Amino acid sequence: MHKLMVVIRREFIERVRTKWFLIGTILGPVFMGLVIVLPIVMAERGGGERNVVVLDATSDDFGTRLTAAMQQIPKLSVERRAVALASLEDQAVALAQEIGTTPLDGMLLITDNTVEDGKAEYRGSNVSSLTDMRTMQATLRSSVFAERLQREGVELSVVSRAQIPVDLATVQIRDGKVTGGSAESSFFLAYFIWFLLYLAILLYGVQVLGAVVEEKSTRIVEVLVSSLKPFQLLAGKVAGVGAVGLLQLGIWLGTGKLLLDRRADVARWLGQGPEAAAAVGQMSFPEVPLGTILLFLTYFLLGYFLYAAMFAAVAAMVNTEAEARQAQTPVVMLLVIPTVLMIGILNNPDGSMALTLSLVPFTSPIAMPVRWAASPVPLTEVAGSLGILFGTVVVITWIAGRIYRVGILAYGKKPGLKELVRWVKG
Amino acid sequence: MRDIVVEVQSITKRYGDFAAVRDLSLAIPRGAVYGLLGPNGAGKTTTIRMMMSIIYPDEGKVALFGGRGDGKDLSHRIGYLPEERGLYKKMKVIDLLIFLAEIKGVSRAKARAGAMEWLARLGLGDWALKKADDLSKGMQQKVQFIATVLHEPELLVLDEPFSGLDPVNTQVMKDTVVDLSRKGTTILFSTHIMEQAEKLCDSVCIIARGTKVVDGPLAEIKRQHGGSHLVVAAERSAALDGVLSDTRLISRADNYGNYAELELAAGAKAQQVLEALVRQGVVVSRFEIAEPTLHKIFIDLAGPQALPTSPEEVARA
Repeated sequence: MHKLMVVIRREFIERVRTKWFLIGTILGPVFMGLVIVLPIVMAERGGGERNVVVLDATSDDFGTRLTAAMQQIPKLSVERRAVALASLEDQAVALAQEIGTTPLDGMLLITDNTVEDGKAEYRGSNVSSLTDMRTMQATLRSSVFAERLQREGVELSVVSRAQIPVDLATVQIRDGKVTGGSAESSFFLAYFIWFLLYLAILLYGVQVLGAVVEEKSTRIVEVLVSSLKPFQLLAGKVAGVGAVGLLQLGIWLGTGKLLLDRRADVARWLGQGPEAAAAVGQMSFPEVPLGTILLFLTYFLLGYFLYAAMFAAVAAMVNTEAEARQAQTPVVMLLVIPTVLMIGILNNPDGSMALTLSLVPFTSPIAMPVRWAASPVPLTEVAGSLGILFGTVVVITWIAGRIYRVGILAYGKKPGLKELVRWVKG
Repeated sequence: MRDIVVEVQSITKRYGDFAAVRDLSLAIPRGAVYGLLGPNGAGKTTTIRMMMSIIYPDEGKVALFGGRGDGKDLSHRIGYLPEERGLYKKMKVIDLLIFLAEIKGVSRAKARAGAMEWLARLGLGDWALKKADDLSKGMQQKVQFIATVLHEPELLVLDEPFSGLDPVNTQVMKDTVVDLSRKGTTILFSTHIMEQAEKLCDSVCIIARGTKVVDGPLAEIKRQHGGSHLVVAAERSAALDGVLSDTRLISRADNYGNYAELELAAGAKAQQVLEALVRQGVVVSRFEIAEPTLHKIFIDLAGPQALPTSPEEVARA
């Protein structure tokens, strides 16, 4: 037991001392800070006026009314230019030259078809701005809607009452309680959890791989196994790297929480105006319940153990780092599967794919916490998933330990499947 | 009966169909400097790894310090320098030495003091805080050696300790080994360089192709295998030539007239040759049973037939 502690301590201290640990630990919060600060900067930039020209080729006064409606949109200045339908395209092409060279951002092309078939076209430099497009589309839609009703003889007052918008507030319920998080914020949380788990399991798993290859390629392993049982060495390594992982995750999560809690101060500190700070303060960030954090850490640890064991076994089979980089691919692919299918899980957290991925042990360490964050999961499913995962960790660690025991002293050709089976049976 | 530190009892280790070591037995008495000799690929490293419980024999067993404990349980009493040795390149020398001593059960404080002392002794005092990677190859070898002896083991197991060392470091290493031996440490080392073994060892075991060819105290082996070589100096005479041409006594004679190197015929004894010379009235000025060099014994016993035959065997060894 003392020997195990010595191995864990060496692994931990040598890693924490490296400059990579320092850089990684600082970069984490910097990255999270960016997530918080970027919206502030964006909000500031978005605060600039947009200049849009409505190229009106309609034969009635719909274009005038639309322009008036669009002028109600904050921070948007709209100018109407009446054009003949025949010269609409030529006008548009000529106007396109001004975009980028003058304050003009874009143009909206409308014709009589706009009311009849709902066809309009916007050309501009800001088409990728979701907010701009969304507000413009909403205004266009309600104007067309009102126009159509009026043409059918509906009274103007009825039309305007019909247009009072509906605001659907979303509130997540978990275990019968309102969590205070909105649907949007739980999506954000699920996404964040997926990102962090994938990154952490891969990052620290690969560190175990590197550590095993280092010991093998420098041949210090033979000195070590004359004093230690191979399993002690493996367990110490996995535990030591895992402790570094927990420390780093702890620092990241802690500073992340601090930054979130004091985001208004951060905004002020960055020299942003009080309105921007207030806006950021109101941004919907998810509340993270303790249960989610515990579940996250449990799955991180089990997932890390599972992948670290596989990475260690792979490393024990090869001789050099270059070989290890190739040999690790199948293991990394296993980890990538839930990543590729992530959108599927998020879109339908209760669907059969999400259920399958959160039960299969190689994908569950990421899939289950993501599901959990996105929607309530029956506790029986969580227990089943954890049970399967734990059992798999035990079996895989045992197999990996057997491969490791033989592999670390075997140099030369990479073993074939037949030889691997012999190592495991040993 | 001296106390036996390592007792190997008919161990066999197979890799697939290939037997790296076959039915090997040997015993190393306390305080001995014991040489495990053999050509490349003979199974020396495999044997040593089994003594250290790094790998386990398929048959037979190894007993250390007369007990039942496994090489790993007893690792605090053993210092092991493998043939393929390495260091953690990024670690500071002193931290590395402390770590390697700690996994042998030495306390941190004691390991630190001991490491500083050894570093100073081998001229590396200024390098304690440097990374292992910054050291020259010779310095790294010294660090590896310090790691082997830092926990004051009773038994030192050195696999090809002199391979790759420059003459200066070879001398330092040899002096240290001799010094430790004087203090009572039992030393086992493997080598294929017979001159070193002849100077250092008091007992040897020669193995070839995984099996033992001969073992025992060096003097005894020399006596056994040296009994057949004679050097005779005498006054030139027909009587002398007569005795030398007696094929019942002598199988081969290199006769210079009044000086001859002889090889005894099978079953004949040196004593009988001397008796015949005296009886024939030869005036003998020198009669010597010549000791063959260890090199000669090695070639005779582990010679051509001992060379590895297939590339596979070379690769396995």
